[in-house]
Amino acid sequence: MNIHCLGINHRTAPIEVREKLWFSDAELPGVLASLKEGRMAECALVSTCNRTELYYVPAPGVTNGSPLWPTLAAKKNAAEAFRDEHFYSYSGMDAVRQLYRVVSGIDSMVLGDVQIINQVKEAFACAQANHCTGILLNRLYNTALHVGKRSRSETEIGEGAVSVSYAAAELASKIFEDLSRRTAMLIGAGETGKLTAKHLKGRNLGKMIFANRTRAHAEHLAEILGGVVVDFERFALELQGVDILISSVNSNTHVLTAPALRQAMKSRGNSPLFIIDIGVPRNIDPAANTIDNVFLHDIDGLNQIIDGNLSHRRAQTPKVERIINEEAAVFEQWHASLDVSPTIVELREAFEAIRSEEVGKHSHHFDPVTSEAVDMLTKRIINKILHAPMSNLKNGTGEHASDDTRTKVYFIRHLFGLDKRTHHENKD
Amino acid sequence: MHLLTAALQILLPILYFGTIWAYARAFFSSVKEAEAIKTPLLFGTIACHILYIVLRSVEYGHPPITSIFEILSLMSLTVALVYALIELKTKNTATGYFILIFPFFFQLLSSLFIRELGEIPPILRSNLLGFHVFSALFGYAAITISAVYGFLYLMLYHDIKSSHFSVIYKRLPNLEMLERMSFTATLSGFLLLTVAIIVGLIWLPRAIVDYSYTDPKLLGTVAIWCIYAVGLGAKQIAGWQGRRIMVLSVAGFAIALFSMSIVNMFFTGFHKFY
Repeated sequence: MNIHCLGINHRTAPIEVREKLWFSDAELPGVLASLKEGRMAECALVSTCNRTELYYVPAPGVTNGSPLWPTLAAKKNAAEAFRDEHFYSYSGMDAVRQLYRVVSGIDSMVLGDVQIINQVKEAFACAQANHCTGILLNRLYNTALHVGKRSRSETEIGEGAVSVSYAAAELASKIFEDLSRRTAMLIGAGETGKLTAKHLKGRNLGKMIFANRTRAHAEHLAEILGGVVVDFERFALELQGVDILISSVNSNTHVLTAPALRQAMKSRGNSPLFIIDIGVPRNIDPAANTIDNVFLHDIDGLNQIIDGNLSHRRAQTPKVERIINEEAAVFEQWHASLDVSPTIVELREAFEAIRSEEVGKHSHHFDPVTSEAVDMLTKRIINKILHAPMSNLKNGTGEHASDDTRTKVYFIRHLFGLDKRTHHENKD
Repeated sequence: MHLLTAALQILLPILYFGTIWAYARAFFSSVKEAEAIKTPLLFGTIACHILYIVLRSVEYGHPPITSIFEILSLMSLTVALVYALIELKTKNTATGYFILIFPFFFQLLSSLFIRELGEIPPILRSNLLGFHVFSALFGYAAITISAVYGFLYLMLYHDIKSSHFSVIYKRLPNLEMLERMSFTATLSGFLLLTVAIIVGLIWLPRAIVDYSYTDPKLLGTVAIWCIYAVGLGAKQIAGWQGRRIMVLSVAGFAIALFSMSIVNMFFTGFHKFY
């Protein structure tokens, strides 16, 4: 099988090397066009923050001998930054499996990453738009998307939060039914706090309040994420109308003590309050968790959720591998069907089936001698019709078909509906 | 017809078992096939159960309220029916296993021990009594469900508080929804019990000559009604919410169960017919 993959990812190269081979959406069309022009019949480039992978079918007559990565690196004028060991390459079914592994998320830095499907989709859409894909890569792309969808729907590889900010937002959804009726307050301006606020916003949070010792920082966040600003000194008073408190303050003492919180709970009619304490050292008195309807979670508690979810995702990997093997077998079968011999046999069988069915339908009109003559006659007609295309297909092919021949085979199979026919027979 | 009734009597516990098995597989193991069949199985079981109740009523010429085992079958149906309505309304199917265990055991006991009484007292053939019993049963079914939701709330509350993220945390709906479901069930149960008490009080002087308002079961029911009235008042007027109101829901059900068991086992009165 003449499909190949050349790649660099988080396992083979550090970020400072990987980033030198990252291609933006604007760069992709030019790079693909130049690759295709040189030595490739088909090519598609997947470039994300954790990987750059080139899937390609060499042009006829081009051998896959010399390393390809210098050509790719040359597109970024950064050949000197790379070494052989930064790259991996796969051929044939191994290349197919690699894309299936990527798209299912089991090859991602964060196991089960859900964004990768869209990234692969965009990469192949770009290759298609620039006329860089053909029969093989189009089929590979479509089946890869199918693998991605099956992995998500038939396993739990993408379930559960695997970042602190996402885990905090998920936890909020386990306490409150409708976040659009809830108010959250972010005190401090740590990066994780900001991301948590962003995730909550993404879950349709009703209102966001920001408080920071440096008021300008809070105002900046309110401008970016949307929300109102209160003075840092007043944040405890605001708890009356707050359902989610995210605390990310640099402080050596607790910014909220348990007695103060107990008092605040009274003022808010004891309605549930979810507190995410991301600060180190902790910002909120841990004793606050003993107060009724207060759910206090610090960084360790959130990491516990992440660890649980990651181990659950790891347990799903064998299920995903099973899906990959199933789909790889289907792809291999499809590819084998592009060989000349089986197609000729199937085409003959298809024509013969039609002929014998029609002859059978009308055989009662003829006596036995005439019936035999009709049978012979129709067989000859079919043989003559098929003779020229069969000879042209056979000519110049050895045991394995060339890509040009495969293209012809593909169109013959498509025109005469041979794949559908084979599919029905397999089902029967 | 007799054959069909007898067949359903055997089939119903099996159907309920199949239903809770599907709900359990879907909840604890996320089995997709179980997820797909559980709700149709529940509705099929309920349809069979309704058919069984109708056939039995037609066959014996009275509503199935003449023995404790007929009542258990009705109780089983009402809990399943109320749960099915909640599932339809909330579109949440995760809690079925915890609730449908009750109909399974009620129906199992009923199917094992149900016998037709030789002679039915005329008092048990009253339609007004039938209405009283049905509303009381639906009321008890609703407070049973309310207590189950209360219990699930407390389990999830504990999981979240203690950062213990078990399958309960992963599969159950959020705390607010559980509280809302429990409250809706409590309110429905309270209203139905109110109807049952009022209908009972109207029916009582007409049907029984030597009735007494100090009958233990009557007093027990009124006491349960008062507990729920106080609970609802605490929520609506005093603004109780969250864990405290859920504890009250579970405690109210425990007291109801306990007091009714004590009354049925140790006291006699006009309110005992079999």
